[in-house]
Amino acid sequence: MAIVTIDNREVEVKDAISILDAARSIGIDIPTFCFQARLSGLASCRLCLVEIEGQRKLQPSCVTPVMDGMVIKTNTPAVVESRRAMLEFILANHPLDCPVCDKAGECELQDMVFTFGPREGRFSDKKRRFHEKDYRLNSVVVKNANRCVQCQRCVRMCEEIVGAVALGAIGRGAWTEETGFVKSLEGCDHCGNCIEVCPVGSLMNYPYRYKSRPWDLAETDTICPYCGTGCHITVGLRDGNLMRVRSKKDTGINRETLCVKGRFGIDFITDEHRIKRPMVRKNNTLVPVSWRETWNCLQEKLSALIGSKKPVGGLASPRYTNEVLYTFQKLMRTVFKTNSIDSSVKFNVSDGKSPDLYEVLGDIISQRYSRVSLSDALDTDAVLILGGNITDENPVTDYTLRYTLSKKNLKLFIASIRPTRLDTDAGAVFRHLPGEESFILAGVLNGIIGSNKTDVLDKTFNNFETFKNAVKGSGNGGLTGLGGFIKDLVSGINTSKRISLFIGGELLRSSGASTSVQMLHNLINILDILKKVVNIQFLFDLPNQLGAWDMGVMPNMLPGYRRLDDSDGKGLFEKDWGVSLPSDAGDNFVRMMERSAKGEMGGLYILGEDPVLTYPDVNVVKDALSKLDLLIVQDAFLTETAKMADIVLPGSTFAENDGTFTNNEGRLQRVRGFHTPAFDSKKDIEILSHVASLTECKRVPSSSTDAFEEILRLIEPYKGINLQEIGGDGTMTHNSKAESLKKLYVPKISTPERTKALRLVTGNNLFHSGHLSERSRTLKALLDRPFVEINREDAADFNVEDGEDVLVCTRDSDIKVKVRTGRSFPRGVAFIPDNFKDVRLNRLFKRGEYPVCVEIKKV
Amino acid sequence: MFEKSLLKNVGKNKSHVIDSYISSGGYDALKKVLKEYTPEELIQLVKDSSLRGRGGAGFPTGLKWSFVPKDPTLPKYLCCNADEGEPGTFKDREIIEKDPHQLIEGMAIASYAIGVRNAFIYIRGEFVLGANRLEEAISEAYKKGFLGKKILGSDFSLDLSVHRGAGAYICGEETALIESLEGDRGQPRFKPPFPAIKGLYMSPTVVNNVETLSCIPHIVLKGASWFKEIGPEKSPGPKIYCLSGHVKKPGVYELPMGVTLRYLIEEHGEGTNSGKKIKAVIPGGVSAPMFPESGLDIDMDFDSLAAAGSMLGSGGVIVMDETTCIVKVATRIIEFFHHESCGKCTPCREGLEWVSKILIRLESGDGRKGDVELLEDLCNNIFGKTFCPLGDGAVMSLRGALKHFKEEFLYHVDKGGCMVA
Ligand SMILES: Cc1cc2nc3c(=O)[nH]c(=O)nc-3n(C[C@H](O)[C@H](O)[C@H](O)COP(=O)(O)O)c2cc1C
Ligand code: SF4
Ligand code: SF4
Ligand code: SF4
Ligand code: SF4
Ligand code: FES
Repeated sequence: MAIVTIDNREVEVKDAISILDAARSIGIDIPTFCFQARLSGLASCRLCLVEIEGQRKLQPSCVTPVMDGMVIKTNTPAVVESRRAMLEFILANHPLDCPVCDKAGECELQDMVFTFGPREGRFSDKKRRFHEKDYRLNSVVVKNANRCVQCQRCVRMCEEIVGAVALGAIGRGAWTEETGFVKSLEGCDHCGNCIEVCPVGSLMNYPYRYKSRPWDLAETDTICPYCGTGCHITVGLRDGNLMRVRSKKDTGINRETLCVKGRFGIDFITDEHRIKRPMVRKNNTLVPVSWRETWNCLQEKLSALIGSKKPVGGLASPRYTNEVLYTFQKLMRTVFKTNSIDSSVKFNVSDGKSPDLYEVLGDIISQRYSRVSLSDALDTDAVLILGGNITDENPVTDYTLRYTLSKKNLKLFIASIRPTRLDTDAGAVFRHLPGEESFILAGVLNGIIGSNKTDVLDKTFNNFETFKNAVKGSGNGGLTGLGGFIKDLVSGINTSKRISLFIGGELLRSSGASTSVQMLHNLINILDILKKVVNIQFLFDLPNQLGAWDMGVMPNMLPGYRRLDDSDGKGLFEKDWGVSLPSDAGDNFVRMMERSAKGEMGGLYILGEDPVLTYPDVNVVKDALSKLDLLIVQDAFLTETAKMADIVLPGSTFAENDGTFTNNEGRLQRVRGFHTPAFDSKKDIEILSHVASLTECKRVPSSSTDAFEEILRLIEPYKGINLQEIGGDGTMTHNSKAESLKKLYVPKISTPERTKALRLVTGNNLFHSGHLSERSRTLKALLDRPFVEINREDAADFNVEDGEDVLVCTRDSDIKVKVRTGRSFPRGVAFIPDNFKDVRLNRLFKRGEYPVCVEIKKV
Repeated sequence: MFEKSLLKNVGKNKSHVIDSYISSGGYDALKKVLKEYTPEELIQLVKDSSLRGRGGAGFPTGLKWSFVPKDPTLPKYLCCNADEGEPGTFKDREIIEKDPHQLIEGMAIASYAIGVRNAFIYIRGEFVLGANRLEEAISEAYKKGFLGKKILGSDFSLDLSVHRGAGAYICGEETALIESLEGDRGQPRFKPPFPAIKGLYMSPTVVNNVETLSCIPHIVLKGASWFKEIGPEKSPGPKIYCLSGHVKKPGVYELPMGVTLRYLIEEHGEGTNSGKKIKAVIPGGVSAPMFPESGLDIDMDFDSLAAAGSMLGSGGVIVMDETTCIVKVATRIIEFFHHESCGKCTPCREGLEWVSKILIRLESGDGRKGDVELLEDLCNNIFGKTFCPLGDGAVMSLRGALKHFKEEFLYHVDKGGCMVA
């Protein structure tokens, strides 16, 4: 600690913090331009100069560390005059075209000059002009170099946080220009974070430029609907029309950053395929009808369905709020008396031989998932990222890691299918194929057991010997590089007290998912016993996957992970809901499809999912859906699945719903509607409660507030939370019983088989997320051509070249896409993003065959 | 009688070749050091000599070396600053082109003292001949075992490489030099941490000027007291002065520290080439404020010049006779600094542009009323607020011109023309 005196006030502060931080901690503000929290100090604008007793010159407070006994003055005549002088210098060549500048009204230069002055300018020469016109760096960033104040916040943001290094300064001296250099912009993420940190109107948001003025905007704080990172966004509308999305410097896990999807991608809310009116199938065609007619028709069909006693299932997208999802599962359980409720098509695509994913997942999620903030999870010694592509799927989590790595010595290990941008920061990296995760984990466990005293483990787990023998043979399975990776990782773990595991959603989608989760479970258990502090967090690419599970959108557990065979738990809900609940575990979506194909299922209620496009094996899903007696689809968009429905209910997007999301950290955040539902569409919760009211069953919540009250009452991690008190940073949900299960799974771990054949994998890419992002005009414009990415040498083997149209063929199907070749892309893998509707990627997949073998052919 | 050390080989046939260097006792100092000195003793020797850096700031060299952490696990670097770009300065070039082994030997000894395994020479890009000479000399030194692994059979190893700059004056500033050497944009870094703690690749680094390092072998061979006895006590040693401008015999002169400016110009430069009276002299490169003729009796050493409101800087002496328009001189100097401003900080980037615009119009006779006062005010607004000394240096030299020759500036405003022409 150091004691310093600032403006005659003595204050005790941490050693070596900057004078600026020290001053701000006691409410003394010093104006700054080039300073930006989290970016490296530049000390170039000289606005923050202060006087330090005993020093001849004024010193930049943003980078000068405090020293014990320092006496600092922030408001002497010399300081005040210096500020005025710096602003005069900046204004000298500044174009002052405020009347046409997007930034006017929220411009740091305007505000600063207003406060610190000069009141008039003495510069009377011709001003410097870089270019007569604004020019576009790309389709979202537009630059006016004349307005630049050379703070380099954009450059540092792009390099230090985003990691793209797409911007640099060209030229020298007064003619320095922050812009792209050589081919740097080819690596631009289009995240717009450079725009966000630009204090003036030099970098502008192209889709927003000239469309509004800040004071004409109605702004709403809400949460990004794309991924599980759960960034805080501020949406600006003018006359009800979406204008822009911004992030706030001091709010949310993302602070001032967003990824391209969050900043530019929410214009999907006005997609032309939004369903405007309810639709009912008549003579085999869907026709728009009135709500009244819909309800009448639905009532008839529902009573027939319920009367038939055939099983009914539900599938809901984790893009909905907790309140909607809670209400959905309540509807399914109380009205349809079913536990067959699933939340993603992409999970549980396993061969059916290994145990059900939810069986093993439930334990981890309910008992061991760390509901701690990302920053707490990163207050650790070692990080393992396994089974996902953090850069593409959770960009802002990737930024946070990069930032953390620049601040402290963290050991980072990455095992992923495709390259990530954090690879260069990692101590060890391994490229694997889907399904190999459990094998990697077995190797790690074998390494840990081999290098630690195991008597405690032996004492704790009664099947330890068996387990030990089961992982013993694992080795490296002949995979080049795995041995070294495991060795580094094991030694990283052994030398760390605290370890954080970040598990990507890809791990849950691969065919060996349940085995992988079991091995993950084992790893956590063993590390717990070895007295390591272990954090585990999933990296979901959907905004409310954790919330969906918390809400009970699972076939084998009630809300709050109450097991169906836990009579207390079941009793709780039966009492509260006033009905008796089915006690048999329900089916996951794969099972539902199987049974439906056999004609066993009566009906299916699909909320916002589009299995016709996403289920591996399009023929199976189409056949299964067509055999249902009643297919209800509630969605905001007319999806391929909706087109097969008997009844289509026009619901809403996050933009029209109020409620909450629970992000990957377990942070509960408020989603606030800012958009009026399109035409006849309704809020989802209203539709669900109306559906319930058509039956003789008890009511389900009819508003978000009602639903949240029930959630608070019944779901353990949410108890005690006060919705009104949730601020911009949300609030953490808590784990009811964070303890480790004293058992080890001994699954059969198959040794990876890597053949020469190219394996096709899929997943998100930076610009897209599932099928939602393609409905954003901006994102679609950024990337609308489907492609397959392969290694350069593989391309040479198939005799194809970068940019060429090729056929990607399986045994019985093929699709035509452009080929992209990369040097760092792993050999033997082909990647096609899963978002492009038109290619119908699921034609190439078969259940249980992931990754699938493909060949690349010239067209 | 003062005997030349630094330039003693200059003028000899093929003085840049290793055999010539060795034949006049070259590399004896390195041999002596490796046999007789521990690194600590060597640092003490340099401290005892009171050698001060010849790059401009005059920082005590032994002290700088002693700041480097002793931790043997840290990589440490030595960078020789051969970016000599200060107008009026051409002393380092002389050593590099004519006696490169003297520098290499100095660097090897310095590296031994500091614990350096890899050293660099950052040379001004325009010095093509110099860079080639250094490359050749380095490869000669490797062949003879003065560089490379286990030098002269000792445990000391050193690799030395040459890096050519890309034409920015600012890269002579030590932290900008480091940035540039790392491959980044040549802009100064914030200090602290100082290079001695975190410099090249964030490791302890010493940056020394060519002339500074070239003094080292002589100190080793002739002793600290020999060095201390030359010139004034607080800044002793031989010094290379660069004489240019309106003098009869421009060139480099090795003389003791502390000779008077007048002696240098009159005895060695033999007065003005035109025979006209001297009007003003810049004593230490263009950043150093000028003196009028009446100031020529000043002693040329760090402390005396600083006390007189100027600086020894790089020792670049520029003589101007009475036909010189000081407004034009000031304009040229400011245009230079404006052109070379790296653009990082506001006062230098924007201030010098503004100042240079005013000077240009003043010089060409379009000055406006109040311009001189505005210039003075802008100097105040720049001085002491810039990130690195470049901006301050620019302002200091303009202030020097305004201090001694204000009437010339006012004349330009009032009469729209020059007082001397
Ligand atoms: C703008 C600027 C330019 C400089 N250029 C040089 C140069 O060309 N050569 C040099 O040796 N030092 C130059 N310096 C001084 C260096 O920063 C540094 O002080 C010097 O290299 C240290 O070496 P010394 O201790 O041996 O003098 C410059 C400093 C500034 C501020
Ligand atoms: S949009 Fe993002 S990646 Fe592109 S230049 Fe700006 S900060 Fe860098
Ligand atoms: S473009 Fe904006 S953020 Fe970048 S240097 Fe210029 S003013 Fe700063
Ligand atoms: S990182 Fe995720 S939550 Fe954040 S803006 Fe991007 S998609 Fe949205
Ligand atoms: S004073 Fe500022 S702009 Fe000028 S060279 Fe130094 S850092 Fe660059
Ligand atoms: S904010 Fe400190 S110098 Fe710019």
